[in-house]
Amino acid sequence: MNAVVRPDPSPALPAPPMAARPPRTEGAQWVQRLGRKYADRITALRRLPAREGDYVDLPPDLPPGLADALRARSVTRLYRHQAEAWRAAQDGENLLLATPTASGKSLCYLLPALAAARHGGKALFLFPTKALAQDQVAELIELSTAGHLGVRAATFDGDTSGDARQAIRASGDVVVTNPDMLHQGILPHHTKWAALFENLRYVVIDEIHGYRGVFGSHVANVIRRLKRLCAFYGSDPQFILCSATIGNAVEHAEALIEAPVHAITESGAPSGEKFLLLWNPPVVNPDLGLRASARSQSVRIARVAIKAALKTLVFCGSRTQVEVITKYLKEVFDREPRGPARIRAYRGGYLPNERRETEVAMRAGKVDGIVSTSALELGVDIGALDVVVLNGWPGSVAATWQRFGRAGRRQQASVGVLVASSEAIDQYVVQHPEYFFGANPEQARIHADQPLVLLDHVRCAAFELPFSAGERFGPVEVDGFLDLLADDAVVHREGERWEWIADSYPANAVNLRAVADGNFVVVDRTDGRQTIIAEVDYTAAALTLYEGAIHMVQSVPYQVERLDWPGRKAYVRRTFVDYYTDAIDHTKLKVLERFDASPLGAGQCETGEVHVVRRVSGYKKIRFHTHENIGYGPVQLPDQELQTTATWWQLPPAVLEAAWPTREQALAAFHGAGNALHCVAQLAVMAEGRDLQKCVDDAHPDGRFHPALYLYDAYPGGIGLSQPLYERRSELVKRARGLVAACPCTRGCPACVGPVAAPVKDEAETPKRAAQRLLTLFEAA
Amino acid sequence: MSAALDWLRQQRRTAPTPPPAALPSVAPAPGSDDIADVIERLRRLRERGPRRTAASASSPTIDRHLPGEEIAPGLWQTTERRASLVAPPMIDLSALARPARGRRPPTGTATFDAPIARERLCFFDTETTGLAGGTGTRAFMIGLARFGREGLSITQFTTATMAAEAAMLRAALADLDEGAVLVSYNGRSYDRPLLSTRHTLARLPDPWRDRPHLDLLHPTRRRWRAMLPDCRLATVERHLLGIVRDHDLPGSEAPAAWRSFLRGGNAALLRRVGEHNAQDLASLAALLLHHLGDADAPRG
Repeated sequence: MNAVVRPDPSPALPAPPMAARPPRTEGAQWVQRLGRKYADRITALRRLPAREGDYVDLPPDLPPGLADALRARSVTRLYRHQAEAWRAAQDGENLLLATPTASGKSLCYLLPALAAARHGGKALFLFPTKALAQDQVAELIELSTAGHLGVRAATFDGDTSGDARQAIRASGDVVVTNPDMLHQGILPHHTKWAALFENLRYVVIDEIHGYRGVFGSHVANVIRRLKRLCAFYGSDPQFILCSATIGNAVEHAEALIEAPVHAITESGAPSGEKFLLLWNPPVVNPDLGLRASARSQSVRIARVAIKAALKTLVFCGSRTQVEVITKYLKEVFDREPRGPARIRAYRGGYLPNERRETEVAMRAGKVDGIVSTSALELGVDIGALDVVVLNGWPGSVAATWQRFGRAGRRQQASVGVLVASSEAIDQYVVQHPEYFFGANPEQARIHADQPLVLLDHVRCAAFELPFSAGERFGPVEVDGFLDLLADDAVVHREGERWEWIADSYPANAVNLRAVADGNFVVVDRTDGRQTIIAEVDYTAAALTLYEGAIHMVQSVPYQVERLDWPGRKAYVRRTFVDYYTDAIDHTKLKVLERFDASPLGAGQCETGEVHVVRRVSGYKKIRFHTHENIGYGPVQLPDQELQTTATWWQLPPAVLEAAWPTREQALAAFHGAGNALHCVAQLAVMAEGRDLQKCVDDAHPDGRFHPALYLYDAYPGGIGLSQPLYERRSELVKRARGLVAACPCTRGCPACVGPVAAPVKDEAETPKRAAQRLLTLFEAA
Repeated sequence: MSAALDWLRQQRRTAPTPPPAALPSVAPAPGSDDIADVIERLRRLRERGPRRTAASASSPTIDRHLPGEEIAPGLWQTTERRASLVAPPMIDLSALARPARGRRPPTGTATFDAPIARERLCFFDTETTGLAGGTGTRAFMIGLARFGREGLSITQFTTATMAAEAAMLRAALADLDEGAVLVSYNGRSYDRPLLSTRHTLARLPDPWRDRPHLDLLHPTRRRWRAMLPDCRLATVERHLLGIVRDHDLPGSEAPAAWRSFLRGGNAALLRRVGEHNAQDLASLAALLLHHLGDADAPRG
């Protein structure tokens, strides 16, 4: 079981000498030069001073074997917070580690787990991805080997072979898995895991800030089921939780495990000086208020950094962006096709072994520039970076700090640059630096007792162990839910007990991540091959795998020839065209149920449940470098449907007719107002990334023209954004009007009302004015 | 999304509905009132929907008769003898227990090297609530059979209530003496692990795990796979042993038969499950004799 030991060079070892590269520019100098040359584009420059390390001696009660293991890896002292973590663990407390990235969090849980393993105490580690899980097993085994501790650790997930599974169940000391596997593969077979549950000392859960929203609510319930089983087997493990910096780490941790935690938030790790820049692309068309693309700026900054021999990472908001930027950078730095790649792309669609290979190369310092999606945000070790460029606002304050955290060197300054796109929210952030620098990172919210989520997990729990009347699941009395399940004939009540009776496996029907299942594989058919070159998840498939799409893998273009939707396969062929493709998608909404409604000015604001249909109607062909639109193509794909909650603002037809001569103008005003309203709404509820979507729909059940602006939660069943928005409906309108009024553009721009077309002759009013007038209609007369 | 969610959504479309609990922005402490409200609303929605047949209470006119004797509350035991199934006093299993090349030998292989007394063989077969696996599947019937001087004696334990499970497991254990050698058909992959799971859940010790166990599926497959369309016991008994069952209830219907009885329904189907199980055991014993080349062994 311990056979997989990955011999990676430890980051503490010096980097291999580089041959024939230009001398490295010091980070601080580089920032100064950048600041002088592009002063008009930099809206803010903050300096975070360097920090000394706060060290303490190895704790005296650390077992000698462990102390030896640490010394064998050149660790002779601990950071203060690591020692505090050891102390709290020995004192039997639940622990929360909310220190920044690269602060040595893993030792905080590895040391207690390894110490306990020597006496038969077992541990369960939960990581959100397989890559992180494998990293941890490798680190654990290295420590165990260095100290001759003989601890048996292994990952347990969908890829684990049958024989390995038996061995892990029987004798694994540390089982490393993910919440989905725990939910579906371990808990419903818990009798096979009796040895683990009887001796469980620690449950380690990493990256808990990711367990928010509906997903987090599911995970909280999986933890309830885990605790229930531990009680059955007579164990009471301590929880050690790790979180990125969020606004409410302690509250969130305690909500997840429903128990108090000892929080450690101050890091004793040293950190180098850091410079953070907010960068706004220059205006290229003052009449239309258009700016240069964020992409052009990110490529420029990365080019300048890599030329100065600074290791650079560019974070992108989408996989297509990753491919396009990688292509441009490769054109500059990887002209030699046979030489080692200096620029590499990293994203979720690549095959796991390719990503491992890239991570190893990065750790070894062999890669000069990496272009990635948020996949690299999580804790995978990729060595030290000098410059991090964010191509567009990642959607939250927390994610921005997380990404900036990737840059960091001990002895030299590192740099983080946030490049704004023309999206309203990006423009807001970059023009109001105090919002970002002064903001508390977003809060992570879960609602473990969301009735539908709770019902799912009570069902799974009943499969695992019978329920007695009056028994609680977590803190909730669930007799009522069990009666419902009895009506469904999945449990049978006999006396004071409900027992499972159906011939089904409920965990299979509960997907923790609330998205349709079925990853797509991309099959390369060039020259008669049949090789799988990438994987695409269900939500991205409609946007990137339609027939005719140019799909890029490591910036090599392939064209999709055939898409087998039910079979989840896309067949592609290598292509040499000079354009890329961009899907055109439309969204339509239908109101299923109104929870509440009230008049607002001359119109109405309502909240309720809606049915959203998203259709990809075609695609644009866009030439590289010039970015001209050179054509369109059709797309025939099934619609993607979503049932969720929303809040919407609408105006009666009579009011609209009085205000605008044509329907087109009224709709245009709606779109403009909607852009501003969406922006302020996202900020107001601190929605993260794409959680809150907008849509202007003019359909009405009785066929009349009755447009409305919808703001809906991007998760099935909703995640609790609609109600707070509804409650603040008039405040939001006021703020939106203020945003449009204060915008420095002349006619409208993406920062306020969205992109505007060139003015027509005798334009009656600007898009900006139209949006303001519409918003005014919602304000009390 | 789960079936309940689909169902709930469907209900909401067809009936005027009260608003569900809105999701607050911070997880509140769950007041029992909130949950009670939600359950109430879900209930009302269901009442407007298609009527589900409620479990009918047992009435005197429903046939609830189970064969045998109630040896503990809810636990019924039957015994029968098949005099025609006679085995030689000593049985040599060494040829059968040899594992296929490269595979792990079955538990306690050493036991099979020398001939063993026929009385030690313990044929067993369970009837369960289904094939989904995991901790939610249980056995509602355990059948055991032993060779003796007067043929094959079959004992069956059936639970008429869920609460009788622990008693059933204990009763079966009592039959499982130290020297017992288990014989089953696919029991190594299915029945035995299932029984072990139920023992863990009932917090009982699990001797099933340690007994030597010969699973006849494997030697049967090795020897006769080429000749048979498949290796299900029903196929094997028909082709190799010439046994044709009359009015047999297929094994796949056993779970539903027990569920329906549990909810107060008719016992007729459950009795037929018992007959099916008894024949399975008899066929298993006959199959073993057939393997041993006992051409004179009468078909049970």
